[in-house]
Amino acid sequence: MSSSPPPSSAAASPSCPKKMIALRSSDGETFEIEEAAALQSKTLENMIDEDCAGTPIPLPNVTGKILAKVVEFCSKHAEPGVDDESLRAWDAEFVNVEQATVFDYILAANFLEIPTLLNLTCNVVADMIRGKTPDEIRKFFNIKSIFSPEEEEEVRRENHWAFE
Amino acid sequence: MLRFRTLLAGPSRKRKKNPKTRRRTRAARSDAVPGKQCDDADVLRQPHQLETFPPEEEEEEDGELGFRLKRSARSAHGVQPLGNLFLSPNAANSRNAGLGTLQSLTDELVLEILGLLSGTHLGILATVSKSFYVFCNHEPLWRNLVLEALGGDFLFNGSWKSTYVAGCHPSFDVGSVGESGLAVRDFYSDYVFQSWLCANLEMKPEWLERDNIVRKRGISVEEFVRSFEEPNKPVLLEGCMDGWSALEKWNREYLVKTCTGVRFSVGPVEMRLEDYLRYSDQTREERPLYLFDPKFGEKVPVLGSDYEVPIYFREDLFSVLGNERPDYRWIIIGPSGSGSSFHIDPNSTSAWNAVITGSKKWVLFPPDVVPPGVHPSPDGAEVACPVSIIEWFMNFYGATKSWEKKPVECICKAGEVIFVPSGWWHMVINLEESIAITQNYVSSRNLLSVLDFLKKPNASTLVSGTRDRVNLHNKFKNAIEAKFPGKIDQLMLEAEEKAALQKKPSFWDSVTDSKAGAFKFSF
Repeated sequence: MSSSPPPSSAAASPSCPKKMIALRSSDGETFEIEEAAALQSKTLENMIDEDCAGTPIPLPNVTGKILAKVVEFCSKHAEPGVDDESLRAWDAEFVNVEQATVFDYILAANFLEIPTLLNLTCNVVADMIRGKTPDEIRKFFNIKSIFSPEEEEEVRRENHWAFE
Repeated sequence: MLRFRTLLAGPSRKRKKNPKTRRRTRAARSDAVPGKQCDDADVLRQPHQLETFPPEEEEEEDGELGFRLKRSARSAHGVQPLGNLFLSPNAANSRNAGLGTLQSLTDELVLEILGLLSGTHLGILATVSKSFYVFCNHEPLWRNLVLEALGGDFLFNGSWKSTYVAGCHPSFDVGSVGESGLAVRDFYSDYVFQSWLCANLEMKPEWLERDNIVRKRGISVEEFVRSFEEPNKPVLLEGCMDGWSALEKWNREYLVKTCTGVRFSVGPVEMRLEDYLRYSDQTREERPLYLFDPKFGEKVPVLGSDYEVPIYFREDLFSVLGNERPDYRWIIIGPSGSGSSFHIDPNSTSAWNAVITGSKKWVLFPPDVVPPGVHPSPDGAEVACPVSIIEWFMNFYGATKSWEKKPVECICKAGEVIFVPSGWWHMVINLEESIAITQNYVSSRNLLSVLDFLKKPNASTLVSGTRDRVNLHNKFKNAIEAKFPGKIDQLMLEAEEKAALQKKPSFWDSVTDSKAGAFKFSF
C-alpha cells in the first residue's frame, strides 16, 4: 500500500494542463478523470504507476451509469479546499439513492479499491439494517426466509439476548 | 471420504505488517463456525437438520486432496464450497435467497458490512434467514466485538460468539444454547467454507517432511560467525540451551503461578496468562491470537533469569542505547496452528529463536527471494500475504517443489535454537502448544546494514519497536561511536576491502584484459 496521499494539489496552471486518465466502462462508454482524482482508486493508482494509463483503461466490472458517478465521487474527493462538513453533506446526498445503486457503488468501490467510497457505502447498508426488526429487514431486502417453524424457534432462542 | 472441490478466490486478501512492530493488524478474516460434528463425509453434502451428534474424534481424509481435519473439528453449519454447487443436482444456492437484494455482493463485502454492526444488531440479523444465520455466526466478527468491548478481559467460552454473549449479556444463559447450532442446507460459499477449512485442518505430513537446514552442535563462536553469521546463512543450533533452568521449570503451572496478575501482549490486547491459556486450549481458528510480549523480562524479572543468551549471540550492540533500545526480546506462547506468516524482521536485525516446550515448523527464504504468494509493498512497509499459514501451505507450498533453490525448512523442537539471518523471509507455525524465547540483535556483522536501514527516508514507518523512530539512527550511531570509537569506520573499511577483493580480477584475467596487448617476443 502506498503511503503517499494523492496529490490533491495537482492544481495546474493554465499553461500546464492537468493529466487526464481515460476509463472505459463495461458497456463501452469512455470517461475522463483527472489523475489526482484517479489516485483515489488503488487499482488505478497501480496502473498509473506502472504506466498503463496511456490508452483508455477498460473496466469490465463497472457500467457507464455507475462509472460516471464514481468519477464524480473521486473528483469531488480530490477537490482542494472542501471542508469536512460540506464533504460529509455531499457524501450523504451522493448515497441518497435506491438500494440497488448503493450495492453497485459498493461493488465498484471494491473492484477499484476506493476506501472512502467503500467505507461510505458499507455504512449506508449497515444503517439500513440497524434498528429494524427481522421482518422489516426481510421486507426491506426482499428476503425469503425459509426457516421451518422449529428452526426459527431454535435460531431465535440462540439469539434471544439480542432482543432484550 | 471427505470430498470437495474448491474454487478458491485469489490469494492475497489482507495486508499484514511485521509481527514484531507495535502497530497491530486487523483481526483475522476467518474462523471455525461452531456447529455439530459430522461423522460422515456425505453429511457435508446433505447436512442433517438440527440434531446434536455427540462430538466425535474424527480424522477424515480425502484421497485426492489428502486433507486431515483436527480432532475437534466442528462442521461449518453444513456450508459447502462453490464447487459442490456445480456438482449438485439442485443447483440453487440458499445463500442468495437468504440475502435478498444483497446477493449481488461478494461474501467478503457482506462480511465487511456485518463488521460494522454491533453485537445486538448482529444477533437480530442472525434470525432473519439461513443465509444471514451463517454469515452472522462468522467467528471473526465476534472476535472483533469481544476485543473491542472487553479488551483482554474475556473468559473464552468455546467460541467467540459465546464469549461475547457471556461477557456482554451475562443474564443470558449461554449454557442453554448447545454448541451445535443450526445446519443449513444448500449454502455454498468458497469464502465461508475456506475459512472453516483453514481453521480445522491439520498440517499435512508432506508439508513437514523437508528438513534441509544445517544442524550444528557445540561449534565455537568463531565457527558460527565464519560459517553462518558472516555469510548470512540460517543454522539450527543444538545443545546451547543446556544450562537453561527454563527447560526444566517452564510448564503451565510454574508460569501461571509466577506471572499472577501480570498482563501479556496478545495481539491487540493485554491478557492474564491464565485467561490466555484458557482461550488457547479451546480455540479453533485460522489465525489464533498469539501471546507475543516484548517486555516479559521487565514484567516478570525471574523469567529473564531462567534463561541466558546463547554464546553465539552475546554481542548486542543495541544495548548501547540502554532503555531507549528498540524491543529486542519476546516470550512467545501459542497453541497448535498459531504462528507468524511471512515477514522479514525489523530494523535489519538478525534473530535467534529458542523453543522451550513444543515444536515449530519453519520455512525461510533468502532476502532476495520473495516467497510465493507474498507481495511486499514497494517501500517494504507492508506485506500482503495469504491470511493464514495453513492457507499458504495449501496454496503455495507446492510451488516450491519445482524450484531449483528450495527454501530452508526445519522443525525446531524443545532445546533447539534457530538462527535467522538478517533480511531473511521467514514463517513459523506451532505444531503443538509451544513456549519459546526470541531475541533480535545487532552484531558487528550486521551493524552497517542496520545503520543503513535506519537511515532510510521512510524510517519512521519502517523502524519498529521504539517510540523514537526518526532519531534512532543518529542516536544509535553516536552511541556506538561513543562506546566503540572507530568501529563503524573499521567495519566500513573492511566492507570496502571485501567488495574490492571480490571485484578484483585474477592476475591472468588482468593480463588478458590488459590494453597493453599480449606479450610479444620481439627480436
